[in-house]
Amino acid sequence: MQEATFLILTSLAESSQHGYGIINDVADISGGRVRLRAGTLYTALDRLRMDGLVEVDREEVVEGRLRRYYQLTPSGTKLLAAEAARLHANATAAMRRLNPLGVVT
Amino acid sequence: MNSSASLERGYRRLLACYPRAFRRENEEEILAVLLATADQDQRRPGLAISADLIRSGLVMRLRPTVPHSARTVRAGVTLICLAALAELAAVITIVATSSAVLAYVHRAAPADSHLAVLSLTKDEIAGPIAIVLMLWLAWAVGRRHHWARVVFIIFWGVTTLSILAALSEGAAVAAPADFACGVLVWLLQLSAVVLIFAKQSAPYYRHGSEPVKRLTA
Repeated sequence: MQEATFLILTSLAESSQHGYGIINDVADISGGRVRLRAGTLYTALDRLRMDGLVEVDREEVVEGRLRRYYQLTPSGTKLLAAEAARLHANATAAMRRLNPLGVVT
Repeated sequence: MNSSASLERGYRRLLACYPRAFRRENEEEILAVLLATADQDQRRPGLAISADLIRSGLVMRLRPTVPHSARTVRAGVTLICLAALAELAAVITIVATSSAVLAYVHRAAPADSHLAVLSLTKDEIAGPIAIVLMLWLAWAVGRRHHWARVVFIIFWGVTTLSILAALSEGAAVAAPADFACGVLVWLLQLSAVVLIFAKQSAPYYRHGSEPVKRLTA
């Protein structure tokens, strides 16, 4: 799974979000390292919807503009959990091997 | 014209890169995000945002509209693209080995020399056309167009006939490299036909070219 996809799914794990909210949340989660652009975000969201991992929760009109909220589907939640567990296992293994070298603080 | 209206017009022009159906459903929403992330008093879309929108629009136009779970369709599309690549290799081989093939025919059957020239010229012209046609069909099959599957199986039939014709003309002996490339193209096309007409692929073509139905609130 690409990092941007992982971060988009993570931003939707807690509650539904609209596009602008996802962009800000992804920047927060990644410590400002990943700044999604609108084109990239909506291309990813379209693919995630096509794969049944994300769905539209609700729509609102704010100041005359459409605001659509997205949420994880059960498949999306399951995939994110599996990917998070895989990354966690890899990170734990790396930490365990780095600890004796005193590299990790 | 104020800066916001000018910026919105610029973004709308860039959003034209996206497919019409996608724009109909998402343009206003994306526009709202683009305007929300723009700098105050910004009059024109920035270079990075413009490049991102153009790239994303092209990706949306070219990529398959079947989900990743549609493995047979996706594998079929990949095989059609590989067949186009093998056809390119065939054209290069034909051009690279044409003088050797003509020399062989001239030695073995001088009376057929003019036919060999004609056959090689025909292959050099038909090859690039076949490559373009296969790439177009790969795109259309991936976009869930049923007609594209039908056209592709007809195309595979034409390839089969041309392989049989080449075999009867002794191409396997006179031009073994060209013939091997042709057989590889045929095998890749056959595998693609099996996959795109597999039982698992059928649901993605049941409703013609309509997009995958989505869950909406």
